[in-house]
Amino acid sequence: MTTTEAADLRPEAPPPSKSRSTSRTVLVIVLLVVAVGALLSQGLLKSLNYFVTVDQAWTQRARLGTSTLRLEGVVEPGTIARTGQGASFYLDGSGTRRYFVTAQGSPPQLFQANIPVVVVGHFASKSSPDFLGSQIMVKHSSNYIAAHPGRVRAPNGTVR
Amino acid sequence: MMRRSSRWLGWTTAVLLAVTVVMGLWITPPDQVQGNLVRLLYIHPAIAWVALYVSFGTAVVAAGLYLWPRTRSLEMDRVSYCAMEISVVFIALTLVTGSIWGRPTWGVWWAWDARLTSTAILGVFEVAYLALRRANDDVEVRARRSAVFTLLTAINVPIIHFSVIWWKTLHQGASVLTATGSLNVHGTMLTTMLLSFVGFTTLFFWFLFRRVALESRRDARRTGELDSALEMRRREGVG
Repeated sequence: MTTTEAADLRPEAPPPSKSRSTSRTVLVIVLLVVAVGALLSQGLLKSLNYFVTVDQAWTQRARLGTSTLRLEGVVEPGTIARTGQGASFYLDGSGTRRYFVTAQGSPPQLFQANIPVVVVGHFASKSSPDFLGSQIMVKHSSNYIAAHPGRVRAPNGTVR
Repeated sequence: MMRRSSRWLGWTTAVLLAVTVVMGLWITPPDQVQGNLVRLLYIHPAIAWVALYVSFGTAVVAAGLYLWPRTRSLEMDRVSYCAMEISVVFIALTLVTGSIWGRPTWGVWWAWDARLTSTAILGVFEVAYLALRRANDDVEVRARRSAVFTLLTAINVPIIHFSVIWWKTLHQGASVLTATGSLNVHGTMLTTMLLSFVGFTTLFFWFLFRRVALESRRDARRTGELDSALEMRRREGVG
């Protein structure tokens, strides 16, 4: 038996299917553009600024008219009245600027006096200071403070 | 050596996260405004930190090192790919935990504000990256395109970070990485939050070690299978 030197039988590399991979890449990019475009149109383009503050609404009142907007301000203490359909309160800006808000639906868990809120709704008429809301969102701060910093741990392990 | 390091990292992560859970649920006090809802502070920001900065950051750095001629290697591409894959999971967790926190505090599951929308866009970019990797079989072309794509999408990260400063958003501002450098979290709440940051960061690196090792084994097996197929073909030719 003669020894034969092994021939190089490596399969030849197929010609690169460049057009196929490029078309796949283009498809991914097109889908990406569509997805990001949809997100942008829903989100950032409509609301780079998510809300209008009471101060801004005060100065732009004529332009805002009765269009739907998100109004941000601080809930004035002592003015909250719970109604069967929701709540009413004064929403404060700086100084004496404030609007009376009547909102439908149950307010969020953290809704309370002195907390910043964003109310979705519109002014009752072109010159009215009454704001009719359909939804209240609480805009809490980034400060986290212990509720009872002076509390102590009892010998049995309970906190008082 | 790698195996021992990975095991050590895994145990460290388990201990850190266990301590975070105990402190977060039993030691830290409720918040003045949020009450017990504040306990999500020990999960959500840390997950977002890993998603945006640690894992996506690792993917960006590795992609840059791949494109840099002196450091170009498929190992860099592999690290970038695995880090991006983990980032997709953490971005999804960021959106889910944020939503769970948002419902009782804000009153809504989702808001189309600049922070949330730009984060969702990063998630879409990352999924597109995974799709892009499957669009080409040529290893070098795939690695190059993926690296360029990663660097292009990195522009979104500063937009996400500064969105709460540049625009009016429902999402609150930063509590730790603030523009003034101040810390807005008190006492044990801050300690626990920072602990969660460390715990989730080590969790990411544990995942990354394991994932890169798995990917390396897969690549080696693919190469081995090809070599044995060639050998078999060669024997057939000789016979």
